[in-house]
Amino acid sequence: MENLTVDFMWMQLLVNSLALGSFYALIALGFALIFGVTRTFNLAHGELILLGGYISYFLFKGAGIHILWTLPPSMLALLGAALVLHAILRRVREPYELNTLVVTFGLALVLQNAMLVIFTADYRLIGHGRQFFLESLDAYVSDTQITVFLTSLLATLSVHFLMRRTFLGKALRATIQDREAARLAGIHVDHMTLIAFGTGGALIGLAGPLYAQTTYLHPFGGSEPTLLAIIVSIFAGVGRTRGLLLGGWLLGTIESATVFFLGSSWREMVSAMILIGLLLLRPEGLWSERSKPGREA
Amino acid sequence: MLWPLFVPGGDLYCRVLGWSFFFAALALAWNILALTGSISIGHTAFFGLGAYTSALMSHYTHLSPFICVILGGASGMVYGALWHFVFKPLRGARFALATLASVEIPRVIVDNWEGLTFGSLGLVGIEAFPGVQPGGMDLSPGESLKSQYYLLLFMMASYLLIHHRAVRSRWGWAMRAVREDETAAGSIGVPVHRIRFCAVTFSAALTGICGAVYSHLMGLIEPSLVFSLHLSAMPLVLSIFGGRYQIAGPVLGSLILYPLDQLFFHAWFPSAHAALYGLVIVLTLIHFPSGIGTWLQKKLT
Repeated sequence: MENLTVDFMWMQLLVNSLALGSFYALIALGFALIFGVTRTFNLAHGELILLGGYISYFLFKGAGIHILWTLPPSMLALLGAALVLHAILRRVREPYELNTLVVTFGLALVLQNAMLVIFTADYRLIGHGRQFFLESLDAYVSDTQITVFLTSLLATLSVHFLMRRTFLGKALRATIQDREAARLAGIHVDHMTLIAFGTGGALIGLAGPLYAQTTYLHPFGGSEPTLLAIIVSIFAGVGRTRGLLLGGWLLGTIESATVFFLGSSWREMVSAMILIGLLLLRPEGLWSERSKPGREA
Repeated sequence: MLWPLFVPGGDLYCRVLGWSFFFAALALAWNILALTGSISIGHTAFFGLGAYTSALMSHYTHLSPFICVILGGASGMVYGALWHFVFKPLRGARFALATLASVEIPRVIVDNWEGLTFGSLGLVGIEAFPGVQPGGMDLSPGESLKSQYYLLLFMMASYLLIHHRAVRSRWGWAMRAVREDETAAGSIGVPVHRIRFCAVTFSAALTGICGAVYSHLMGLIEPSLVFSLHLSAMPLVLSIFGGRYQIAGPVLGSLILYPLDQLFFHAWFPSAHAALYGLVIVLTLIHFPSGIGTWLQKKLT
C-alpha cells in the first residue's frame, strides 16, 4: 500500500513537471524568436504576456467568449504591440543589446503602471478548468494542463517547421547566424526583423491567455515570466526551437521538484540561481559561435 | 540650500527636496559602478541588504543607529565583492541580467527566514536617528523634517565629493580607460581587476548605506519595499537622464525628476506615478543617450 502511494506521487510530479515545462516553453517561444533574429533583450516580455492574459480574461468574463476564441484577438493585439515595440527599438543606438535591455526595462515600468491603472491591483485568474483522474497515467490531470501541453507542442513544432522547412525560415536562420553576411547575400534583414517581431508578438499573444489560466494575473507579476523566458532561451541556444521544449521541460522538472521538496517560496530563488549559472557556464547559449559579441560599453 | 532655516512652513517642499537629495545620493552610488561601463539593474540588492542589516542590528543589539548604518554599508560591500568574483566573466547585457537575477537571492532569504527577519510582514518601529548638535544647532532627524533635510543634504554632499574624486582622480582615469577598452587599458598597465573590484564594492557599500539610512528614517521596512524593481530603476534612470559621464549629472537628474514626480505626477496619477521614470529612460536613450547634462552643455557652448 505504501509503495503504491509513492508511485502515485512520482507520476503526479512527472505530469505536473511536463505541463509546467510545456507552459515555460510556450512563454519562451516569442522571446527566443525576437532575441534570436534581432538581438533585442526584451525585459518587457512578461508584461506583454500579462497584457495578453488580461485581454483574454476580460473577453472571457465580460463578453462570455469561450476561452479558445479569446486566443485570436489576444494574438492580434500583441502582434500590434510587438510592432509598436519594434518602432521604438528601431531608434535605439549602439551598443544595441545593452540599450534595448535598458529601454525595455523602462517600458516594463510604464506597462506595469498602465496596467495598474486600467486593470487595478486585483489578482485575477480565469480558472484551472476541470480536474480528473487518468487511470492510464495514475495521476490527476486538468483541462488546462492538456490545453497548455497541446498548444505548446503545436506552437513549437510550427515554429520549428517554419524555420527549417520554408524559404522564409532559411532567411531568418541566416539572419540569426550573421546579420552582415545575410545582408550581403541579398536578404532583406530589416524585413526579417519585422517578421520576427510580428511572429514573436503573436506567440506572446498565444501564451498570455494560457498564462491567465495557469497563474494569477497581477500588474506587477511580469518579471517572473521574463526571467523564465530568458532562462529557457539561454538553455536552448539561439535559433534552436526544439531545444526550447527540452529546456522548458527540464526547468519545469526542477521547479516542480523545488516546490515539492522545499516549498513554493523558494522557487524564485532557484530560478534566479539557474539563470546566473547559465549566464556563467553557457554563454554560447546566447551568442551562437559565429556572431561574436561586439565590445559593449 | 539653507532656506528651510528661514522659510517658515513649506513642509511638503522640504520633504520632497530632502528625498530628492536621497535619491541623488543613490544615483551617485550607482554611477560609481557605471563609470567602469557596467550597467547594473540590481542595485536594490545592496539597498535591501543595507536596510535589513542596519534595522536588524538596531533591533537586536540596540547599538546607535549611526553604527548600524556603517554595518549596513559593510553588508552591501560584502555582497558587492561577491558580485565581483562571481560575475567576473560577464560584461554588458549579460552582466545586467545577472545583477537582475541576483536580487532574488537575498530577497527570498529575508522573506523566508521569519525567525530572524520577521518575513514578509517586515520590521516596524526601527529606532530613529538620535539628535546631534553640530555648532550649537539642535538637529534630530527622527523628529523634525528640517533636520532630516539637513541629514540628507549632508549625505548627498559627501557622496558628491566621493563621486568627484572617482571621476577626477587617477582612479577615475583608470575607470574610464576600463570602460572604453579593457584590453587596451590592461596593456598600458591599468590594474583592470582591481579597478573593477573597487568600483563595485564602493558602489555597493554606498548603496547599502542609503538603504540603512532609509530604514532608520522611515521606521519600517518590508522585503517587497526595499528589494523592489523600482529601487533598481531609480538610480539608473536618474543617472542616465542627468548624464552619467558628468560629476553632477546624477544630482541634476534627481533634482529635476523626483520633484516633478512627487509634486505633479503624483497628483495627476496617484497610483501610476512611477511610469514617469520608465517613460523618461526610454526617451533619454533614444534622444540624448549621454544625458541631459551633456546635451545642455552642447547647446550652451
